[in-house]
Parts: sequence; C-alpha cells; structure tokens
Amino acid sequence: MAEAQTTQSHSESTRFYWMVAAVLTAITVVEVAVTLIPGIPHLLLVAILLILAVIKGAGVVMFFMHLRGDARVYQLLFIAPLTLASSMIIVFLAIFSNYVGIGG
Amino acid sequence: MSEHATATHAAPATHAAHDSGHGTSLGVDSRKMGVWTFIGSETLFFAALIVTYLIYKPRNLAAGGQDPKEFLGIAVTSVLAAILLASSLTMVLALAAIRRHDTRQFRIWLLATAGLGLCFLSGQAYEFTKLISEGVTFGSSMFGTTFFVLTGFHGTHVAIGVTWLLSVFTKVWRYPDAPGNDMDVELGGLYWHFVDLVWVAIFTLIYLLPDSI
Repeated sequence: MAEAQTTQSHSESTRFYWMVAAVLTAITVVEVAVTLIPGIPHLLLVAILLILAVIKGAGVVMFFMHLRGDARVYQLLFIAPLTLASSMIIVFLAIFSNYVGIGG
Repeated sequence: MSEHATATHAAPATHAAHDSGHGTSLGVDSRKMGVWTFIGSETLFFAALIVTYLIYKPRNLAAGGQDPKEFLGIAVTSVLAAILLASSLTMVLALAAIRRHDTRQFRIWLLATAGLGLCFLSGQAYEFTKLISEGVTFGSSMFGTTFFVLTGFHGTHVAIGVTWLLSVFTKVWRYPDAPGNDMDVELGGLYWHFVDLVWVAIFTLIYLLPDSI
C-alpha cells in the first residue's frame, strides 16, 4: 500500500517536471514569436519580453531548483544578491542612458 | 501538486545534512548553503557582465562600431535556449531518479544532461566561428569585446557544469551506495540550473530585446 503510494507520488512529481518544462518551452516560443510581429510598439515589446523572461526564470528557480518550499536561508542567499543585481542593472542603465563618454 | 513535489524534495536534504555530518546551526546542509552562496555571487558577476554589454551597446554604435543586429541571429540561439531548457528537465529528472534509488534512470538522465550541455557548447562554438568569419572578434569593436566576454564566460560555466556532472556520474557509478549521493547530484544540479537561468537572461537581453532598452 505504502509502496504503491510512493510510486504514485514519484510519477506525479515526474509528470509535474514535464509540465513545467512544457510551459517554459511554450514561453520561449512566444518570446521568439513576439519579436517577429511587425509594427509592434517598442515599449510593449520590451515589456512583454521582460515579463516572459522573469516568468521563465522564476519557473526554473522555484520548480527545478526547488527554492520554493526550501529552507528560508537558501531563499535569502539567492534573492538578496538577485535583488542587488537587478537594482544594479537598472541604476547603471539609468546613469549612463544619456552619456556617451565611455567607449564611444 | 507543486507543493507536494517541492516539499518531498526539500525535506530529505535537511535530514541528510545531519546524517552526513554537514549540518549547520541553521539546520541546513553546509555544502548546499555554500553552493547557494556561490550562486548568489555568480548572479552579481553575470549582472556586471550584462550591464557592461548594455551600456556599451549604444556607445559602440555611436562610434560607428559593428551593429549587433547585423550579426546576431536568433535562429541558432533559440535552439540553444531550447537545449539548455531541456537539459534542466533531464537534470531534475536525474535528481528525482536517484532519490528513489533508480540508478538506471539516474544514469540515463544525467548523461542526457551532460550530452545536451555538449550540444549547447557545439552550438556556441558554431556561432562564435560564424561571427569571427564575419569579422566580429574580441578586438574588432566594443560590441565584440563585451559580447565575447559575456557569452564566453557563460560557455565556460557550461563546460565546468558538464565536467561537474560527469564527475558526479563517475562517483555515483563507482560508489552507488555511498551516503550523500543524492546531495552530490542536487548540488551539481543547482549549478546546472543556474547556468540555464543565466542563459534565460542573456537570450532575452542580448538577442531578443531591441536596441535602446
């Protein structure tokens, strides 16, 4: 009985991983397809691509790296640097947005 | 179902921490904590490389440098993205297999992961060769420099990941009953998924996004 339940649990988790992979693949296809739409507004394109990338990344981290449901300290060790890195990218792009002094 | 799936995979790791003598005062495995810390530092490392590319892109164009749009196609890199995504799936399936002591499935999925990693490296070598033949080199422009540094470092990480996974494969092959085998696979898997995660960012920010974000 217990063995049967364990087998079912394993098969469910395996099926779940396949489902996650299928969703992530679909998102990748949508990402590429969106860039091929002629005349799509620039800002809309950027927003769509960034949102899809965030969803994809979150899927990998939560379900493949098992960060969802894992110990809080692991979540902190990843999310803190990720927040810092994202902020760094945004701040640096803002600082240098109208500056052509380096490398130019 | 997802709650169930993640919960059943997270719990054994904590117990293994104490069983294998790698526990910490936080009740977590010190090796896994080390790998997460390493991944956190790698996140900052790749963010620095990505922002450098993005900052120099318009400056490179303003100076009459090579235009990335003329050289970077998304056909090959879309396939590379799919390959890395597939390798993340095979990696997590390998971990699930070793946790239920199914060594046959474990070997198949882990070798598939390493194989897909090698396919990715082959695709990247093809892309680099094509770019170089078109005149984009490390020193040809700021685009060339920042692009090759970023993607080259990522490729190096993939190569290290393949080596890591093959060493884990060999260890489990030689010592199938050794305690902590599943943790070894999990740690290699964490690194591998991170490499995939970096490519998600590179694929979007470097290849798909239009100019002047």
